[in-house]
Amino acid sequence: MAGEPTLEATVPASAALGGASALILRTEGLTVRFGGLTALNRVNFDLQRGEIRAIIGPNGAGKSTFFNCLTGVLRPSTGRFLFNGEDITGLPPNWISQKGIARSYQITNIFPNATAIENVRIAAQSRRHGWSLLTHHRAYRDIIEKAEAVLEAVGLRGKGDEMAANLSHGEQRNLEIGIALATEPQLLCLDEPTAGMSAAETRDTMALVRRIAKNLTILIVEHDMRVVMELAQRITVFHYGEILAEGTPEEIQRNPRVLEVYLKT
Amino acid sequence: MSARRVVVYWTAFSVILALLIVAPLVLPEFWRRFLTEILIWGLLAMSSDILIGYAGMVSFGHSAFFGLGMYGAAAALLLVKPPDLWLAILYGLIAAAGVAAFVAYFATRLRDIYFAITTLIFSQIFYVIIFTWTEVTGGENGLTFGRPALAIPGLFSVPFTSETLHWFVLAVVTASYLALRRITQSPFGMVLQSIRENEARTRAIGYPIERYKIAAVMLSGLFAGLAGVLYAIQNRFAAPDFVFFLISGEVVIFNVIGGIGTLVGPIVGAAFFLLLREGFSRFFTEYYLIPVGLIFIAMVIFMPQGLLGFMRRWLNQ
Repeated sequence: MAGEPTLEATVPASAALGGASALILRTEGLTVRFGGLTALNRVNFDLQRGEIRAIIGPNGAGKSTFFNCLTGVLRPSTGRFLFNGEDITGLPPNWISQKGIARSYQITNIFPNATAIENVRIAAQSRRHGWSLLTHHRAYRDIIEKAEAVLEAVGLRGKGDEMAANLSHGEQRNLEIGIALATEPQLLCLDEPTAGMSAAETRDTMALVRRIAKNLTILIVEHDMRVVMELAQRITVFHYGEILAEGTPEEIQRNPRVLEVYLKT
Repeated sequence: MSARRVVVYWTAFSVILALLIVAPLVLPEFWRRFLTEILIWGLLAMSSDILIGYAGMVSFGHSAFFGLGMYGAAAALLLVKPPDLWLAILYGLIAAAGVAAFVAYFATRLRDIYFAITTLIFSQIFYVIIFTWTEVTGGENGLTFGRPALAIPGLFSVPFTSETLHWFVLAVVTASYLALRRITQSPFGMVLQSIRENEARTRAIGYPIERYKIAAVMLSGLFAGLAGVLYAIQNRFAAPDFVFFLISGEVVIFNVIGGIGTLVGPIVGAAFFLLLREGFSRFFTEYYLIPVGLIFIAMVIFMPQGLLGFMRRWLNQ
C-alpha cells in the first residue's frame, strides 16, 4: 500500500513497546451520573495493546459518555481508569492527550478556517515547539514533514492547501482522524468515523483504520454493523450504561441478549 | 509565501517606513506631533490585536496596561535623577507586566463576553486606585515630569527634539510590529489562532489553553505598557484619564475600524479615527462625536472587516 512507508513515521516508537499482550487501558468501576441519571454504571473494561475494539449499543447506552471520560472531558463520579498502568482519572483533556490518548469526534470538530495541512500541523506541533515564540512555524521542518505524512496517510495528499471548510464531508471526516493521528497517540478513540459517508468513502475509511491499526490501539464507536463486524477483533456491547456483552464478532452476533436488545431491533 | 509576494510585502513595508521617516522633516510642528501620537496609539491598538484578532479574546482592559506603563515611566522619571529613558521604559514595562499578570491570571478563566467584562472591571479597579491614592499618584491631577534625554549610555546623550522623538517612537513601533508579526507566525502564535478557531479541540490535541491565554494577555499587556511609556515621554505627564475604560473602548474601535488580525490594521484604524476626530472637532466643536459615531456605524455595517480586512491573509503570510 502506498501510504505505508510514511505511516511508519507517524507513530512513535513507544507505541510498539510493551508487547502484544499488555493491557493499554483498564477501567475500574467507572461511573458517571448526571443528576439522577446514571450514564455509566460501574464499567469494568480491559483493552489489550494493538487491538481494534468496537463499542456498540443503542442510543443513550453511554458510548459517548465513555469516550468523554477517557479523554478528560467528563470527570467520572466514581471509579478510575488506568492507561499503561497509570491512573489518569480526572486529568484535563490536554494532559490526557499528552499521555497518548487521542479521539476523533462524532460531529466533525476541525479548524474550518485553516487549511488542511494547518489542521494537522497544529496537532503535530502539540508534542514539541509549542512554546516557541520567535521562530516562524514553517522553519520547523520536522513538524511539516509529520503533517504531510499524516495527510497522506488519511488520503488527503494534494488537498493540503485547501481550507478545511471547503473539503467534502468525507474528507473532513478523514481530516478529523488526521488531527487525532498527528498527536502521535498510542490509543485512538474513533467516534462514528463513517457517519454520513457514502459506501465508497466508508470502504476507504475502513481501509484507513486497518492501516493505522498496525501501529496503535483503536477503540471505535460505530453504528454501521458491517463496519463493526469487519473491523473489530472484539466487540463490547453497552446497554443503559453497563456492559451487556463482550466477545468476538461471531460471539456477539450469536449472543441472545445482544440480539434481544440491539441487533434485532 | 511565494518569492514575489515576499518582495511586494517588504517593498511596501520599506516605502511606508521611508515615508514615516521623512514625514517629520516636511510636516509642520502640529502634524509632526500628531503623527507621533498616531504611532503611539497604533502601538497600543496593535498590542490589543494579539488578543482580539489572533487569540479571539476581546479585552476592554487595555487602558490599565497603557496607564500603568505611563505611571511606571513617571515613577522612574520622578524618583531617579537624572531622568533616564531606558529606566523609564524598564519601570513602565515592569508596572504593565505586573498588572497584566494579575489580570491574566483571573480573566483567562473566563471566555468571550465574560473575559471582556472581567478585563473592564480590572481596569476600572486600577483606575479607582490611581484616582484616589493621591499621595503616590497625584490623584485626579496626575503627575508631571521632565522628558529624559535620548541617550545611549557611554555613547551620547542629547535632548529630544520633536523630530528625534518621532524617529525614536517610530523605531520602537516598527520593532514592536516586527516582533509581534513574528510571534503571530510562530508556533505559539499558531496555537493562539487555533484557540480562536476551536478552543475545545485545541485543548483536546494537548495544549494547556489557560497557559497560552495567560501568556497572550501578558505579551499584549507588555506592548500596551510600552505604548504608555512612549505617551508619557511625549506628553510629560501621567493622568488617571488614561487608565479609564474609555481608552480601552477606543482601542477596540481602532481595531474594528482598521481590521482585526492584521497588526497594521489597528494602526491605520487609529490614524483614521484620530484624523476624523481632529477634523470634525474643528467643524462641529463639542458635537464632533455625532458624525464620528455615524461614520463608525456605517463602517461596521458596510465594511465589517475594517479598512485593511481585505488584506488580512496577505499580511499574515
